[in-house]
Amino acid sequence: MTGMIALSLADLCQWLQDTSWGTGIRESVWVFPLIEGTHVMALALSVGTLLVVDLRLAGFLMRRTRVSEVSNQLMPWSLAGFVIMFLTGGLLFWSQAVKAYGSIFFRIKLVLLLLAGINALVFELTLRRTVPEWDTAEKPPFRARLAGVLGMVLWAGVIAAGRTMAYTF
Amino acid sequence: MHALLPFFQWADGTAVGQAIRNSRVLFPIIESVHLLALTVLLGTILVVDMRLLGAGLRKQSLPFVARSLASLTLWSLLTMLATGFLLFSSEAMKSYDSPPFRFKMVALGLALLFHWTVLRGTVKAETPGRVRSVATALVSLTLWFGVAVAGRAIGFY
Repeated sequence: MTGMIALSLADLCQWLQDTSWGTGIRESVWVFPLIEGTHVMALALSVGTLLVVDLRLAGFLMRRTRVSEVSNQLMPWSLAGFVIMFLTGGLLFWSQAVKAYGSIFFRIKLVLLLLAGINALVFELTLRRTVPEWDTAEKPPFRARLAGVLGMVLWAGVIAAGRTMAYTF
Repeated sequence: MHALLPFFQWADGTAVGQAIRNSRVLFPIIESVHLLALTVLLGTILVVDMRLLGAGLRKQSLPFVARSLASLTLWSLLTMLATGFLLFSSEAMKSYDSPPFRFKMVALGLALLFHWTVLRGTVKAETPGRVRSVATALVSLTLWFGVAVAGRAIGFY
């Protein structure tokens, strides 16, 4: 049964990259580098700004500034960066879906992305409403610091796995 | 460029360059570290430039934002220079003939110069004035993202 599902996913990837858009991006001289360049540049906006928030959360940076102030001012930019990342990442996947599907590093990247999402979701659902209690704390409670450190580690893993995808071993 | 040829030849022949060239995993590993440091370097520079443009950490003073991020910028820059040299040494002679590589080195020189002269002066002021702030941020962003784009282009060329 799982074999059948795997087969149909591979078929889906083959179909996807054979579409005119997928083929067009893959075979173009300029479009693929442009999309990939944008994907890499948007790293600074998405993960770069998130890093500052996570560092404050972990108690490493701007300790005398309210956590909510750092977060509220930077997260909209981070989210805008992630929208660019998902759009450009989606287009890159579209153009080489079969290669990505077969790449262990792409699978690792997806798992790490999922874990980063879960980490953020857990924070929003449980810790977010307690922020007023430790907003001014130079060193936030353990669980908040853990969420910050986990976020940084997981995103570092996403970036490393994403870069390594380009190589075939 | 002729005067620098011996330097490229020396780098190409170093033991570390040859070791990276002969390994399948070293180059990707070093490049991943290079890219992680890029995220930190460009991220911290971007947050300061955004503050100069009146975005992001607007409730904090400009000198505070710049001071808070300065050591992260410096350490990520040192990591980029170290990993960058390692990557370069593994393909120095290829880099010698690469227009994107030459462009990147010129842009990097200008970016470093600008960052530690003009930008350093601007961010020390509480309120540097609108024109000065915006001009500083735009030049900074153009130079640093120019370095990054040219760096990526080395791989495509």
